[in-house]
Amino acid sequence: MSTPQPPGSSNSQGDDESVDFFKSTINEYLDNLPESVHQQLFQSRETCLAIFRLLPALSKFYIMAVLFNETSVPYSDLNRWVKSNKNSEFKGHQNPTKIYQNDSIKRLKALHILKEIKRQMIHPITKQPTVIIFVQLNEIFRQSFRDALTGFLPDSTQDQSKITLASSKDDQQEKTTSLDMMFDDDVDNSITVDYLDRYCLAKWENILHFMVGTEIKEIPSVGALTLLRFSGLMELPSDRERREALDGQVDEDIDYGYEDDNKKSIHTLKQLLITKTGFQFLLQDISSQIWTLLIQYLIMAEKLKMNPVDVLNFIFLLGSLELGQGYAISMLPQTQLIMLDDLQDYGLIYHQKDSSVFYPTRLATSLTSESSSFKTASAAMDQEISQPRADKSTNSGSIIIETNFKIYCYTSSPLQIAILNLFVHLRARFANLVTGVVTRESVRGALRNGITSTQIINYLETHAHNGMIELAEAEYNKKYEFESSIGNTTALEQLKLEILPPTVVDQIKLWQLEMDRVQAFKGYLYKDFNNDFEFEKLLSYGEDIGVIVWRDRTKRKFFVSQEGNSQLIDYANKIIRNSSGTPRANTPA
Amino acid sequence: MARAIKGMLIECDPSIKSLVVRIDQDYRDIVIEELDDTHLLIDPSKLTFIKKELNRILADNAYNPFDDEDAQAAAVLG
Amino acid sequence: MPSEAAPIREAKPNKLENLFSDDSSTDDTDSENDQLILPAASSRKRQKLAPKTQEAIKKIKETNDDNEFEDGELVAIPLDRPSDFIPDAVSHIFANSDFSYLKLKPDHSARPIWISPSDGKIYLESFSPLSEQAQDFLVTIAEPVSRPSFMHEYKITTHSLYAAVSVGLETDDIISVLNRLSKVPVAKSVIEFIKAATHSYGKVKLVLKHNRYFVESSSAEILRMLLKDDVIGKLRLQSVDEANGAADGLVETEAPKQGDLVIPGTKKNHENKNSKEKGTDTKNDSKNNEVVEGVEDIYADVIADAEDENADDTVHSFEVAAENVETVKKRCQEIDYPMLEEYDFRNDTRNPDLEIDLKPSTQIRPYQEKSLSKMFGNGRARSGIIVLPCGAGKTLVGITAACTIRKSIIVLCTSSVSVMQWRQQFLQWCTIQPENVAVFTSENKQMFRGESGLVVSTYSMVANTRNRSHDSQKVMDFLTSREWGFIILDEVHVVPAAMFRRVVTALATHAKLGLTATLVREDEKISDLNFLIGPKMYEANWMELSQKGHIAKVQCAEVWCPMTSEFYQEYLRESARKRMLLYIMNPTKFQACQFLIQYHESRGDKIIVFSDNVYALQEYALKLGKPFIFGSTPQQERMNILQNFQYNDRVSTIFLSKVGDTSIDLPEATCLIQISSHYGSRRQEAQRLGRILRAKRRNDEGFNAFFYSLVSKDTQEMYYSTKRQAFLVDQGYAFKIITHLHGMEELPNLAYASPKERRELLQEVLLKNEEAAGVEMGEDADNLIGHGVSRRLKSSSVKNQASMAGLAGGEDMAYVEYSRNKNKDLGVSHHPFFEKNYYRRRKR
Repeated sequence: MSTPQPPGSSNSQGDDESVDFFKSTINEYLDNLPESVHQQLFQSRETCLAIFRLLPALSKFYIMAVLFNETSVPYSDLNRWVKSNKNSEFKGHQNPTKIYQNDSIKRLKALHILKEIKRQMIHPITKQPTVIIFVQLNEIFRQSFRDALTGFLPDSTQDQSKITLASSKDDQQEKTTSLDMMFDDDVDNSITVDYLDRYCLAKWENILHFMVGTEIKEIPSVGALTLLRFSGLMELPSDRERREALDGQVDEDIDYGYEDDNKKSIHTLKQLLITKTGFQFLLQDISSQIWTLLIQYLIMAEKLKMNPVDVLNFIFLLGSLELGQGYAISMLPQTQLIMLDDLQDYGLIYHQKDSSVFYPTRLATSLTSESSSFKTASAAMDQEISQPRADKSTNSGSIIIETNFKIYCYTSSPLQIAILNLFVHLRARFANLVTGVVTRESVRGALRNGITSTQIINYLETHAHNGMIELAEAEYNKKYEFESSIGNTTALEQLKLEILPPTVVDQIKLWQLEMDRVQAFKGYLYKDFNNDFEFEKLLSYGEDIGVIVWRDRTKRKFFVSQEGNSQLIDYANKIIRNSSGTPRANTPA
Repeated sequence: MARAIKGMLIECDPSIKSLVVRIDQDYRDIVIEELDDTHLLIDPSKLTFIKKELNRILADNAYNPFDDEDAQAAAVLG
Repeated sequence: MPSEAAPIREAKPNKLENLFSDDSSTDDTDSENDQLILPAASSRKRQKLAPKTQEAIKKIKETNDDNEFEDGELVAIPLDRPSDFIPDAVSHIFANSDFSYLKLKPDHSARPIWISPSDGKIYLESFSPLSEQAQDFLVTIAEPVSRPSFMHEYKITTHSLYAAVSVGLETDDIISVLNRLSKVPVAKSVIEFIKAATHSYGKVKLVLKHNRYFVESSSAEILRMLLKDDVIGKLRLQSVDEANGAADGLVETEAPKQGDLVIPGTKKNHENKNSKEKGTDTKNDSKNNEVVEGVEDIYADVIADAEDENADDTVHSFEVAAENVETVKKRCQEIDYPMLEEYDFRNDTRNPDLEIDLKPSTQIRPYQEKSLSKMFGNGRARSGIIVLPCGAGKTLVGITAACTIRKSIIVLCTSSVSVMQWRQQFLQWCTIQPENVAVFTSENKQMFRGESGLVVSTYSMVANTRNRSHDSQKVMDFLTSREWGFIILDEVHVVPAAMFRRVVTALATHAKLGLTATLVREDEKISDLNFLIGPKMYEANWMELSQKGHIAKVQCAEVWCPMTSEFYQEYLRESARKRMLLYIMNPTKFQACQFLIQYHESRGDKIIVFSDNVYALQEYALKLGKPFIFGSTPQQERMNILQNFQYNDRVSTIFLSKVGDTSIDLPEATCLIQISSHYGSRRQEAQRLGRILRAKRRNDEGFNAFFYSLVSKDTQEMYYSTKRQAFLVDQGYAFKIITHLHGMEELPNLAYASPKERRELLQEVLLKNEEAAGVEMGEDADNLIGHGVSRRLKSSSVKNQASMAGLAGGEDMAYVEYSRNKNKDLGVSHHPFFEKNYYRRRKR
C-alpha cells in the first residue's frame, strides 16, 4: 500500500517564479567597467586592496602567485597549481573544481587584472611553431597592490587616496599600511565607537523603516529618497499608476526619468511606496543592502557626470579606514566632498556640520570585509557590537506559522515588526514576541505593494523557527522510511522537506493568483474571412511566427498580438497581391 | 477579405467571463465580442475598471476571520 | 445582623466586562502582594482538585521554583502599562495590544506562556518542557482557542473561571500558577479579572435532597445576602424544617465528607472490588496500572488533606421550589454567584442503588479518565459538560459515570437510532440487566419494573407536551414522579435552550452530564448550557488524540469546482436561495464527486457523501446509482442500507442527508465527501468529520481517512466553506486546497461531459421551485427539535446576502430528523408522491 494522497494537487502555476534577486552586485558592476576605468582605479592602493578582498579565494591565490613574478606565466600553469578533483564521478566540464577555477580566471580577466597574451613559440621537441597562451598581471595593479601590502609610500602624490588621519597625538603609531597621516586637533573625544554604532544603525534603520511605511519622526533626506526611487526600491503613487496602466504590456525599463525628476520636493518624495524590488531588498543581509544602494548611487552619479573612479575610490577607501578614527576632510577632492554628504544620509559616515573631521561608521568600514552576512541591521549590530546574546535559544527573529494561519515571531526589532506588518495582520506584542494572522486581506495588501507570494514564502521559510524545521525533518524521515519500506519509489522521488505548512504556502500562492483573474492581450481580432483558404493561410503564418494568441477554426476567427500584427498584414498583402494582383480596399489596418 | 478589430483579448475562467458579461450589462460598452467560454474581446480602456469591479464583487465570497471576531469576544467575556 | 449582610449592589460595579480595560490609573496597592501569595500559604478551605490538575500544579511548582527573584525583582516590575512607557515606531500597529513594556523574567525561556493584559489571552509554547503540565492546568482555567502544532492559544473567560472553581481550584492557585508559568509578570488587570470572577464562584451549591431543592453554602452570610435579593428572597420556600433552623431561617447541617470514591474502569476500582465485593478478577495491563497508580496516589493525598481541613465545617441552606429553581439559578448567575450542582450520591440512602458496574474487561482510556476525574474530583458528582471529539468514546465516559453513581439513570439523545445505540452500548460495556433497561420512543413505551433502572429516550419525547398519547403520558408521569440519580444529555449542542429548559425542569435529577464534540465558542448557547447543566469540565485536544491513535488521522481537502459559464450566468441573475441550488448542482462539482468516489472506491475505501440539500442528494445518488438516506427514508430501509454499507463489498458508497451528521456510527467509513452543507456551520463540519474519526482501520500503518469538501468556485459557497473550517483549523487540521483533480476529464462515463447535458441539467435546476434549495426541514411535531430556529432561517434567507452571511453561523440550527415513513418508493427519481409531500410539508 502506498501513502494515500488525495488525487489532486494544488494549482501551482506561477510557482517558483524566480525571485528577482539583485543582479547588480558590486562584483558585476566592477566586471562590466571598461578597461580604461579599471586602469584608473588600479592607481589607488586602497581600491586594489578592496577589489582583492572581494575576489574569490582562488583568484586571490592566482594574484599572489604572480604578484612578484614580473614575467608572464603560461596559462597552463594556472591549471597545474590547482589540484584537480580526480573523482571519476565528474566528467570534463562537470568537475566543480574546474568550474570554480574557470570562474576565478574569468573574474580576473573581466577586471583586467590578468591579461592573456598569445605568443608564438617553437616547440622544444617537435620544433614546430605553436601558440602558447600566457597570462600577465596588470602592471598598475601590481604596483599599487604591492605598495598596499608592503606599506610603501610613494613620494608621488598623483592619487587622491592620500587621506589624513585626524587623531589625537598619542595615536601616531602607524596602524594602517598605506595611509598618510596628518594629525588634527579638531577631534571630538565624545565620538566613540559605541556612539558611531548607534548613529549608523539609527540612520540605516530609519531608511528601512521609511521603506516599510513605519511612521517615523525624521524622514530620510531628499538625496536618500531620490536614490530609493531611482533604484526602483520605491515609487511614487504616480509611478505606480503609470506602471499599472502599462500592466502586462511592458514589464521592465520604466524610465524614472531621473534627469527631469531630480527636483522632486521632500513633500512629494514623502509619498514614496515600496516596490517588489524594495521588498526583496529588505529581505537581504545588510552588506548586500548597502552595496545595492551604493551601486545604484554609482549609476546615478555617472548620470550626474560625477567621475566614477573618484566615487569608487572613495567607497573603497572607506572600507580600509579605522573605525572610531576621525579623518580630515580637507584633502578630499570635490567629488568626494559631495559624496560625504550623501553617504552621511545612509549612515556610512558621521560628519558634523562645519567640522573638519569625518568619521567612517561600521557600515562603511565593514564594506569590504569578508565576514559580513547578517540578516538584518539589528542582528548585524548585535553580532558586531554587543556581548553575545544571553540565550541563543530565544530564536531571535524566528517565525512560527501555524496551519491556522496564525503567526508568531520572536522579535523585539521594530524593523522586523514593520516588515511583518507588510503582509501580516498583527495582533499583540510582547517584549520578545509578536503575534498576528496571515489573512487574505493582509496578503493582498502586500501583493498590491508589488510584493510577491514567493517573496513572502521565502521570508517565512528563511526565518522559520527551529521547531518547524525539526518537525519538517521528522515528518520527512517518517515518510521516507515508510515509503522505502513498501518500495514506493515514485512517492520517494516526490518527497520534499516542507518547513512551512503546505496548506499555508498553497493559500498564499492562490491569493496571488486570485489577484489577477484575467489575462489581457492587446491586439487585433481577425474575423469574417471569406473562405477557409484565406483563414488557414493567414492563421498558419501567424502560428509560425508565434503571434496568434487565440483562434477558433469553426468560427474562423483568431486574435493577433499587437506586436505581431504588422508582420501579418505584410504577409496578407503579399498573398493578396500574389493571388489577385491588386490590393483590396478593406485591408486590415 | 477579413476584418480586423482592434481591442483587448481577455483570457479567464468561465465564471469570470460570465461576470464580465454581467458587468457589461450594467455599464455597457465594455465587451466588444464574446469569443468562447474563456475569451472575450473588450475595450482596452476598460481593463482597469473591470479588474476593480471583479475584485470588488469576488471579495464577497471570501471569508475574513475578523468579521465575527468582535462578536465572539463579547460573547465569551460576557 | 442585617448590617453584616453584604448588599448585592456591591458586586455590580465590578462588572466583569469592564475589567479588562487598559486603565493604568487603578491604584490598588495590595494587588501586587496578592500576586505573590503561594497557594500553599493559603489558609482557605480547599476543594478537591482533579488529580491531573493537582499533579500538573505540583509539577509546575517543583520544576519552576523561582523564589530567588520572585520576591526581589518582580515586585518592582510595574504590572500595568507604565506612565513612562514610550511607544516606539511600530507601537501604533498594535493599538492597545502593545505589551512590550511587560519586562521578561530573567529565566523567561524556561517558562512557556505569555498572558495578554487586555483580553486574558494566553499564548503557550507547546514545545516547552513544561507544556504538558501547563496544558492540563490551562484547559481547566481557560477556553482553548486554538491548538495546532507549536503555539496554543487559550482565553481566560468568566465561564472558564467558573469551571475552574467548580472543579476545586481557588483564586490564589490560579493566579500563582499563572505567574509561575508566565514569561512576563501577570498584569494587574488579569489578576483583578480572575479575582473578581472567582471570589464569589463555588460558594453556593444547589442540592437536591428528598426530591426538594436546597440552596446550600458553607457561609451563612452569603445565603443571607442571597435572601435579601429581590428575586431570590421571594422564591424561598418556607419549609417545616424552619423550626430546626437558626433565627435567620437557615438550616444548618454537617458538611458532606468524601470517602475514597473510585471511578470504575481504573485499577483502583478493581482492587476495591476485591475487598468490598465478591472479588472480581483484576487482570490488568501493567503499563496502564503504573500511570493510573501515580495519579491515584496524588489524588489520595489531596483527599486526605482536605478531610482534615473540612472536619468541622457545617453548611447552611434554604429551600426553593422546583419550578423556581431555574429562576434562582439564573439570578445567581447574574449577580455572579453561580450555583454549583453537586450530588453526594454515596450518602443518598433514599434513592435505591442500581446494580450496574463496568464489565471487568472494560478499560477506559487516559483522557476519558481525566475527564471523569474532573467530574468526581471531590467524591461527589458535579454537573457539567465534557467535550470529546466524535469517535473518542463519549458514550463510554457517560456509562462509566453512570457506573460510578449507581442510581437510576436517564439518557436523552437526539434520535431513535442513537437511543438504540446507547442501549446497546450500556449492555455491551456494563453489567446492567436488560430488564432494567427501558427505552422510551414513539415505538416503545415500556418502563422497567424494579425500583431502579435505566431509561433511554430522546429530547423531543420528553420535552414535547402537545398531543401526547395516553401511553406516552403514562411514561411521562412515571419519569416526572421520581428522583433520578443521573441524567446524561447526549449531543447537548443541538438542543435549543427552550427544549432543554423543559427537560431539566420536568425531570428531578441529582447530577447532569452533558456530552458533545463541539462546543463552538462563539455560540451564545454556552451561557445557556452553563447554567442549565453546568460548566465545561473538560475539553480534549483533537490533535493529541489523533497522534496517540485514539482517533483516526484525517487528510482534509477543499476541492474547488469551477462554475460553468452557463451556470454562473444564472447564478449571477438569481436570488440567494436559487443561487444555492445552482452552486450545489454545478456540473463540475458533480464530476468531481463522481471522480472522487471512483478513485476512492478503487482504493478500497468506504465512502459517505453528505448533502444537506435533499434535491441534490437524490439527483447525485440516483445519477450515480448509489443508495441514499434522508429524513423520509423508512427506518427499515435505513437499516438495510447501513447494513449493506457495513458488510456488503459491493456497496461502498452511500449518500446521507443531515440525518447522518450525528449519531450514526459507521466505523467502516474511511472517506467523506461533502457536496452541500449548512451555510457556515463550524459545528456541522466538525460533526461530519467525526463520522470518520473512529475508522476501524485507524491504527493501520500509514492509514489516513479523507474528508473532501466540494465547493463551487467564485460563489458564496467559498465564503461559507472557509468559515465552516475555522473550528477544525483551530484544532490543528489543515485543509489542502485542490484546484484541479488530475485525470477527472479522462474519467470514463464522466457525467455532464457534453454542453448539451449541462444545458439540460441547468434547465432542470432552473425549473425547480425555489424551495428545493432549502435544507431539510422537519415536519413531524412529535420528533422535531428546534423548529423555531428553522423558521428564522427561512425568513432571513431572502436576497439579502449580508443577512445570509450573518446567518452563516446558524449555530443553533438544530439537526432534524423525520420519523414518519411516508415514502416507500425512493428508487425512482422525482417520484410524484415524494414531490407533493415534500412541498406540502414545507408550506405548513
